[in-house]
Amino acid sequence: MGAAQRSRRWLVPVTAVAVVAGVGTLGPVVADASPKLPEISAQELLAKVQTAKVDGLSGTVHSSADLGLPALPGVTGGDSGSASGQLTEFLSGEHTARVAFAAPDKARVSVLDNMAERVLTTDGKSAWAYDSAKREAVKLQVPEHKSGKPEKLPQSYDPQAVAKQFLAAIDPSTKVDVSGTEKVAGRDAYKLRLTPKTDQTTVGSVTLAVDSKTYVPLQVTVLPRTGKDPAVEIGFTEVSFAVPAANTFTFTPPKGVEVTQPKAPTTRPDVPKSLPGKPDTAKKPDIKKPGTAANEPTVIGEGWSSVVMIKGVKLSGDGGPVDQFLAGAKSVEGSWGKGKIVTSKMVNALITDDGRVFAGLVTAQTLQDAAAKAPR
Amino acid sequence: MSPSSAVAEAAIARPSAGRHTLALFKSELQLVFGRVRTWVLLGVLAAVPVLIGVAIKLSGAEGGAEGFLGQIAGNGLFLIVASLGLSLPFFLPTAVTVISGESLAGESSLGTLRNLLTAPAGRSRLLAAKMVALAIFCLAATLTIWVAGLIVGFILFPVGDVLLLSGSTISLGEGLLRALAIAVVIALSLLGLAGIGLFVSSLTSTPLAAMAATFGTFIVLGIMSAIPQIDVIHPWLLMYGWTSFADLLRDPPYWDAIGRNLLLQAGYLAVFYAAAWARITSRDIV
Repeated sequence: MGAAQRSRRWLVPVTAVAVVAGVGTLGPVVADASPKLPEISAQELLAKVQTAKVDGLSGTVHSSADLGLPALPGVTGGDSGSASGQLTEFLSGEHTARVAFAAPDKARVSVLDNMAERVLTTDGKSAWAYDSAKREAVKLQVPEHKSGKPEKLPQSYDPQAVAKQFLAAIDPSTKVDVSGTEKVAGRDAYKLRLTPKTDQTTVGSVTLAVDSKTYVPLQVTVLPRTGKDPAVEIGFTEVSFAVPAANTFTFTPPKGVEVTQPKAPTTRPDVPKSLPGKPDTAKKPDIKKPGTAANEPTVIGEGWSSVVMIKGVKLSGDGGPVDQFLAGAKSVEGSWGKGKIVTSKMVNALITDDGRVFAGLVTAQTLQDAAAKAPR
Repeated sequence: MSPSSAVAEAAIARPSAGRHTLALFKSELQLVFGRVRTWVLLGVLAAVPVLIGVAIKLSGAEGGAEGFLGQIAGNGLFLIVASLGLSLPFFLPTAVTVISGESLAGESSLGTLRNLLTAPAGRSRLLAAKMVALAIFCLAATLTIWVAGLIVGFILFPVGDVLLLSGSTISLGEGLLRALAIAVVIALSLLGLAGIGLFVSSLTSTPLAAMAATFGTFIVLGIMSAIPQIDVIHPWLLMYGWTSFADLLRDPPYWDAIGRNLLLQAGYLAVFYAAAWARITSRDIV
């Protein structure tokens, strides 16, 4: 065996690397070919989304968010117990959840965590929250008027008219078009794209993938103005429109699980919120900072360029991780005073020295303009 | 495969081995499981459930810990799952590293590899036999924990219906089957590392160097998966999907992540097995 012949054998592992890398990176792209569907106008599509009605569905939802938020040193992920923890948790990273829904009021969401699972389920009569890591089940009360009676929209409601109104309302600020088709969760879908007309926002576009048969939104993608990787993408990876069995939604607290029942009537779990069927088309780009109950946030501006202002925030002074983090931020000043500006792919924030925080899905300049207009 | 080469190889290297492929595989298994260190490793793995079980029994922590550990006191079956889960990040990879580092470099250091390599047609087959023996060792390692966990868990703790992550319960028998499936999935999860070990082992004639290099690679990959700034490459790292075994305890089991993990392991195995093959078949006989 000659040396050349022998070294040629190394082509085999090199090919293996290429094949593995190719399958891993190109595989998903090939599967995403755009299907051929009959033409539809944005208004028609919007009207169909409004009337979309399914008796039940089940599937797997995958969400990934990359807002480019800087990781605060010493602040880890989310404490699943608190609402603010859950918010920060879903603003970063990837999550998978199993969802099921049956008309009119049965719903179940199981968030598949690493070696754990959090379940929220309601069969219309009772609602349960279960956390497998803590092995705790909480029985939640379902508000009386919700049980049994389906949530009906006014009968006079004409989807075509609503679609028209909606388009008219957002027309000055947003361009709406059908930007093509794609396959989502193995189903053919239209892409309804909302593009802000202003250049003051960091949002490039919001795209809804709408199922071509049931007109249920299957995926929402938010693209930033710069870059082509989605900032937020949430959608089905698997979906079935068969009505799930009734026992999907019931929950029997198993042996060895601690059951608590809060005495005060709690609000209905936000289960249906994350379900499709109620598309968040009028998504307003506002960010609410949690944990400042005493200081009600004020919204400055409207539409895509709205900025949220929170007054009297005390962020610095204790030399903690926030201080260290802000020390690296860019200093800016203007007619409004002095402050630090924190920028990321999507969310920008301006923290003034007099304790005001301006934040929004807007450019740094828009933040400063808002600060100049804002009341002290 | 010419019979003469098989005979030559078998005759020189392993007088006990027959002329058939099956015999080569059998002798390879005898080689792996005939070593004392293999049994010491399996013994250490079997001690994991014993240690965890005794510790929990003595401390009597009822529902203190989160996750599978906290469930052991209530149901001994979870001792199997917790032991497998806790062995996965360190003990199991160590065992696989030792055995895979030994596989080719060990023959090399003893001088037996030279004899094996003089039969060129037998080299691919030799490598296949080594890999199969490694895979069987991976399975033996996780099954050891399964059996030890089963025995200790049933002796020390009450057993009964199994609470799944989704909040529903299944019968004990089905729970045992799911635990067995976890053992198999974890064994398959180790194949990527076994492939790396086999390749490294083909590069050197010092088993200890092969083990150190393989374990070093494993540690580096582990550190890389802990650095958030490079999360773009995380899905490509060996241990990215290792914890997906817990998806078998959902109702119904969630297969996506497990499938992705096994595909990744297959990818690692294909690349490093091919590299080991290229190395072993083009190697000069010294």
